[in-house]
Amino acid sequence: MLKKGLTVFAGLVLVLAILSILRMRPAHATVHPPSPPPTSGYAKSIGAIGLVEAQSENIAISVPVPGLVTRLYVKAGDRVQKGAPLFSLDDRDLVAELALRRSSAAVAQAKLQKLLNSPRPEELPAAAAKVRESEALLADAQVQLDLIERVKDRRAIREEDLLRRRLAVNAAQARVEAAQAELQLLRAGAWKPDLEVARSQVAEAEREANRIEADLERLTVVAPIGGEILQCKVHLGEYAQAGPLAQPLILMGDTTRLNVRADVDEEEAWRLRSGAAAVGSPHGAAGQRLTLRFLREEPYLIPKRSLTGDSTERVDTRVMQVIFALEPGARVRPGQQLDVSIDDTQGGR
Amino acid sequence: MNFVALQMLTSDRAKYLGLIFAVAFSTFLMAQQSAIFAGLMARTTSQIQDIQDAHLWVMDPYTQYFDEVKALPDDTVYRVRGVPGVEWAVPLFKGQPRAKAGDGNFRVVVMLGVDDATLVGAPRKLVMGSYEDLRQPDSILIDRVGYEFFFPKQSYRLGQTLEMNEHRVRIVGIFDSSAPFQNFPVFYARYKNAINYVGRERNLMSFVLAHPAAGVTDAEVCRRIAAATGLRAITADEFGWQTIWYYFHHTGIPVNFGITISIALLVGTVVAGQTFYIFTIENLKQFGALKAIGVTNARLVGMITLQALTVAAVGYSLGLGMTATFFEVTKDNLDLRGFFIYPEIAIGTALVILLIVLMASLISIRRVLVLEPAVVFRG
Repeated sequence: MLKKGLTVFAGLVLVLAILSILRMRPAHATVHPPSPPPTSGYAKSIGAIGLVEAQSENIAISVPVPGLVTRLYVKAGDRVQKGAPLFSLDDRDLVAELALRRSSAAVAQAKLQKLLNSPRPEELPAAAAKVRESEALLADAQVQLDLIERVKDRRAIREEDLLRRRLAVNAAQARVEAAQAELQLLRAGAWKPDLEVARSQVAEAEREANRIEADLERLTVVAPIGGEILQCKVHLGEYAQAGPLAQPLILMGDTTRLNVRADVDEEEAWRLRSGAAAVGSPHGAAGQRLTLRFLREEPYLIPKRSLTGDSTERVDTRVMQVIFALEPGARVRPGQQLDVSIDDTQGGR
Repeated sequence: MNFVALQMLTSDRAKYLGLIFAVAFSTFLMAQQSAIFAGLMARTTSQIQDIQDAHLWVMDPYTQYFDEVKALPDDTVYRVRGVPGVEWAVPLFKGQPRAKAGDGNFRVVVMLGVDDATLVGAPRKLVMGSYEDLRQPDSILIDRVGYEFFFPKQSYRLGQTLEMNEHRVRIVGIFDSSAPFQNFPVFYARYKNAINYVGRERNLMSFVLAHPAAGVTDAEVCRRIAAATGLRAITADEFGWQTIWYYFHHTGIPVNFGITISIALLVGTVVAGQTFYIFTIENLKQFGALKAIGVTNARLVGMITLQALTVAAVGYSLGLGMTATFFEVTKDNLDLRGFFIYPEIAIGTALVILLIVLMASLISIRRVLVLEPAVVFRG
């Protein structure tokens, strides 16, 4: 009984144990990636990370002078013509200054006009009258002198009277000449060098005003090329700094065609053949294979763009940048990253 | 004659049961300890095994094992992509940041950052949620151990938040991870998020996961990657074994388990052997009688072997049953997950038990073979 029972029980236990063992083993079956990773499709290829950019390259619009933004004419996504205004900076001080300069120019101009219009016609009759008056006075003095000279008997007159009347004639004569000279000066009008000075002052004042106008014009930033506004990071009321900025005020570029800037590790750069074909697929859409046409390679290798942004970090990898053209109509946007595979089938490792 | 042999074996119940239990406990001890040891070693490779969609690992050539990594420059992944024979390659981040719960409870976790675009490496079978939700901002997948640690005695619920390196992370999925060696919680996030959850370093990419193109062997691709990049490329299995050997050589675990298993072996052999020997000695009279009636030595050896095998089979079955019961009982304990009986261990134990019993019977057989049939009549 024991023999049979124990053997049967042991057999049962063994079967259960084996079942348990087989069931307990965790399965580590191979599975496929959730999204297919990018593949090159070439027998040999060079892998690179690519960044889509405008064919004009991306232009970070800057301002010539810092200032407060008061007007904004565009928004991201707008297409603009060359020379179209993008935004304006605060111009109140320059407008006030321009008014001042303009009035200075007007003053100078008026002064010139005044010189050009002299003599004042109303002044001439007065001067002429003065001549006539002095002439009359001369005639009077002459009459007085003649009367006394016509006296035959020298004893009847005082020598002193005679002398006085003669001097009076001379004085009257001089006064006539003075009045005539004054009339002539008045008639001659402004002196030429004075006019020159006045004219120069007018020109200078006008140039000052023009300079302010030019300064005012500079406060409106215009599109350097025709293209698309890719990014607009400037807002009304913000202070725009001049010079290169980490975050450009406005990023624009000619996006009628798009290029891809591919970073090839320096250790792979030697394999790159000029004119090599390439394909790219956007991150997350490995199935999309965009044909890339070789345009050029940057002659200078640059340090790999850092990710932490730490200024003290040591950069040990340099990358070669290769520019490829995207086919028109490729459904990618500037700034998008592509996984790029560059054909190296003919190259040898 | 076989019937006689079995009758002899079972006639003394106490001895028979003694033999059976000696073998059974010896089996249990060996199988259970081996399984725990194997499980413990396999735990060191859990996160390698859990990544099921890529089986080539590219790493710094000086990497010793999975838990200690030196980061690679990010463009390594592009260099690996350029190696002929590589179908695809994606980055993998592995770090051990600290996660903090709202109530201040914190723990170091194993953080795996999978490629943003493809999610290669993300766990597929989730208890709750979807791995596709990793594409949401600041999302993580958390394993059950992690969830039950951070939210004890709460039912599973998605959308809970934790804090990592001053970042808020949101749980979008709960999954079953293979237990890491130290039983840390395991988190999955997208690569670009995961690197923010640890401190700032320049190079952050821990591994590149690659897949060989059709028609190229793993070994060939590994060799090419190594030649082209100067990095080490090995398969997941090789990496797992490398990690296991690291623990094997640098921890006391193998010594400890080795001693236990040896003692199990020794005790099993000695107890079973001795019992069997005594059993045979006590039955010498019967064997003598058989010899006297003309049973050949070969026949006697066959009888003893049959007895030995019977004891081995019954004892082993019961021992394996006990072991299986142990692991069945503990399998639902999260902290003991990953321990199970490898079929190899079951088979190996069977062979060892067979060996023990045969050795024990051999000693007894010697006595039977040199036995004089006349002994029956002397007593």
